[in-house]
Amino acid sequence: MRTPISYFLVVSALLFTVGTVGVLVRRNALVIFMSIELQLNAVNLALVAFSRMHGNLNGQVLAFFSMVVAAAEVVVGLAIIVAIYRRRRSADVDDASLLKW
Amino acid sequence: MLRNVWIVPALPLAGFAINLFFGKRLGRWAGVLASVLMLASFAVALGLLADLVRLPGDHRLFVRHLYEWISVGSFRVAADLRVDPLSMTMVMVVTGVGALIHVYAIGYMEGDPRYGRFFAYLNLFCFFMLTLVLAQNFLLLYVGWEGVGLCSYLLIGFWFERPAAASAAKKAFVTTRIGDTFMLIGIVLVFLRLGSLDFTHVLVDLRKIPSPQLMQPPGVYTVIALMLFAGAIGKSAQVPLHVWLPDAMEGPTPVSALIHAATMVTAGVYLVARTHVFFEISGVALTVVLVVGLVTALYAATAALGQDDIKRVLAYSTISQLGFMFLALGLRAYAAAIFLLVTHAFYKALMFLSAGSVMHGLEGEADLKKMGALRRAMPVTTAVFGVGALAISGVPPFAGFFSKDQILAAANQTGHVFAWIVALAAAFFSALYIARLIFLAFFGDDRTERHAHESPPVMTVPLGLLAVGAAFGGLLGLSAVTGRLQTFLAPVLGEVAEPTRGLSEASLTLVSVVVALAGVLLGWFVYGSGRIDWVALRVRLSSLQRFLAHGWYVDDIYAGVLVTPAKAASAFLAYVFDLHVIDGMVNGLGQLVTGLAAAGRRVQTGLVRNYALAFLVGAVALFVYVGFRL
Repeated sequence: MRTPISYFLVVSALLFTVGTVGVLVRRNALVIFMSIELQLNAVNLALVAFSRMHGNLNGQVLAFFSMVVAAAEVVVGLAIIVAIYRRRRSADVDDASLLKW
Repeated sequence: MLRNVWIVPALPLAGFAINLFFGKRLGRWAGVLASVLMLASFAVALGLLADLVRLPGDHRLFVRHLYEWISVGSFRVAADLRVDPLSMTMVMVVTGVGALIHVYAIGYMEGDPRYGRFFAYLNLFCFFMLTLVLAQNFLLLYVGWEGVGLCSYLLIGFWFERPAAASAAKKAFVTTRIGDTFMLIGIVLVFLRLGSLDFTHVLVDLRKIPSPQLMQPPGVYTVIALMLFAGAIGKSAQVPLHVWLPDAMEGPTPVSALIHAATMVTAGVYLVARTHVFFEISGVALTVVLVVGLVTALYAATAALGQDDIKRVLAYSTISQLGFMFLALGLRAYAAAIFLLVTHAFYKALMFLSAGSVMHGLEGEADLKKMGALRRAMPVTTAVFGVGALAISGVPPFAGFFSKDQILAAANQTGHVFAWIVALAAAFFSALYIARLIFLAFFGDDRTERHAHESPPVMTVPLGLLAVGAAFGGLLGLSAVTGRLQTFLAPVLGEVAEPTRGLSEASLTLVSVVVALAGVLLGWFVYGSGRIDWVALRVRLSSLQRFLAHGWYVDDIYAGVLVTPAKAASAFLAYVFDLHVIDGMVNGLGQLVTGLAAAGRRVQTGLVRNYALAFLVGAVALFVYVGFRL
């Protein structure tokens, strides 16, 4: 008996919520980053689950794309975080609030 | 040889170009060059006149096509020159008197730092004036018309270091512009009505019995005639636009003689004579011309009595004489008007140049009160001025007598008895003011503060030649019907009919002579005989004297009624409307945007988590929207 799709989607929604709350409440840039990864993986899980439900590979292909993009994003994002940390000795995102009026 | 008519205006134009670019280097020769070119122009004009006279009377019209000037759709204007008796008469006056004044100016302007430029302007003026009188269509005439206005401005303000000269130039320009604008409207109406601006087309079309649809709507020709006449009023300094001419005396005296006595100011007379067909169709317009001329003649003659500046006396005298010309035009005595124009050019140029000679001899003094007994120091000037004075006051056999007498006779014989009486009064005042001038300046006690001396021959010889013209110019038109000039002009201006009404020729002449002599005698009695203390008289009548000296306070009325409100309106627009309403709108818009931005930029906190929250809210909203719509 196959596991129903709703199981996967509930797990995916929980993961996404955890990620979202992490992004909104945490101040450390690295933790925020990890929370974003959590969101991305939640979406990947949903995609793969839908792929299985429909019986084709479209969702899986999209999940691979999202992983590649996430990897690239991590490279750029971590580089920025490291640069900011070196300059300001802080990885707190609320400290880096210069881009405003 | 009539084909060569273009040489006549081309010569002064060449003189203008040379003197403009090389005037400084030419030094003294600038004046000689300008004068020689004008004399050459006069010689060419003489040749043209001889050719024109050789043609039979009805064929005395030649149009020299120069080039196609404007061609837009049905609107075609060619640069054509028209040679006919009227234009040739004007050309002879402009080149002849103009050349003499050029020669005179060689002496008068000597030592002026802008000597070359003066002659450049003077030549340019002659070019435009010749364009004006030779033009074959309204538009080319208008070019000349505006061109002489420009030269008038430049030459009145020639000594622009003096504030009075600069503001007089401005006044002349602005005042005549009022008339010119109306004239342009008139020209546009002519084109709209008749589809052409060409004199031959327009005037011939109208002189034939015009077809009924050409006459629709009624009154259009009255409007056209009055618009053209408004231009003439401005240019010829008639009431109510006469105020610029007395002030124009700030210019050098040769300019006053050439532009503001002999030629430019008579352009209005020429225009009305040229387009008299419009005025005849209208009828009403003729009456307007008559009334304006009559009012001006009397008004300016009285105002001249109160002037102390020798040139201002002559300026008002010019206005008055121009009024006589318009009176003649209004009486349909066109040939008489042109006759007076010609003789007036001689004697008024003569008197202005004599006045210049007086000022030259007195180092610039122009106040009659500080002259007197100049006949001993300046015999030649006195003699020629005397000739001019006799001519203008209408004493036979000098030129003014014949021309003015014909106008007075025309008034009487056409049944305008009231106009005749008013004109006689104006003639009386003319004789009086000129007698006053001559007895104050040249006779009586010596009140000069400087040592007077006679002018050099380069100035007195032109004076002598002009005096000959002023003395014998009357021979051109001894009789109003069969005079030489009148028959010459007949193909253009129409035959002069034998008078049928009014007093006889002899009695009219007698009345004119008596009036003229009465004026001269009264002038002699008050100012020359020594039996009356004119200084005391002047004090006794000081309010009348001031009234006349200010030209009936017309300038002050204009200043109060027109200038002050206009300045107040300008000040209101500049300092209240523009500063607060216009600028207020612009600045208000800017302030509104600044205010909105000041509030709106608070959204940008710079805190990444705020932005992330905004993302979330937006995404949820979008999700809800899409979800509920489905």
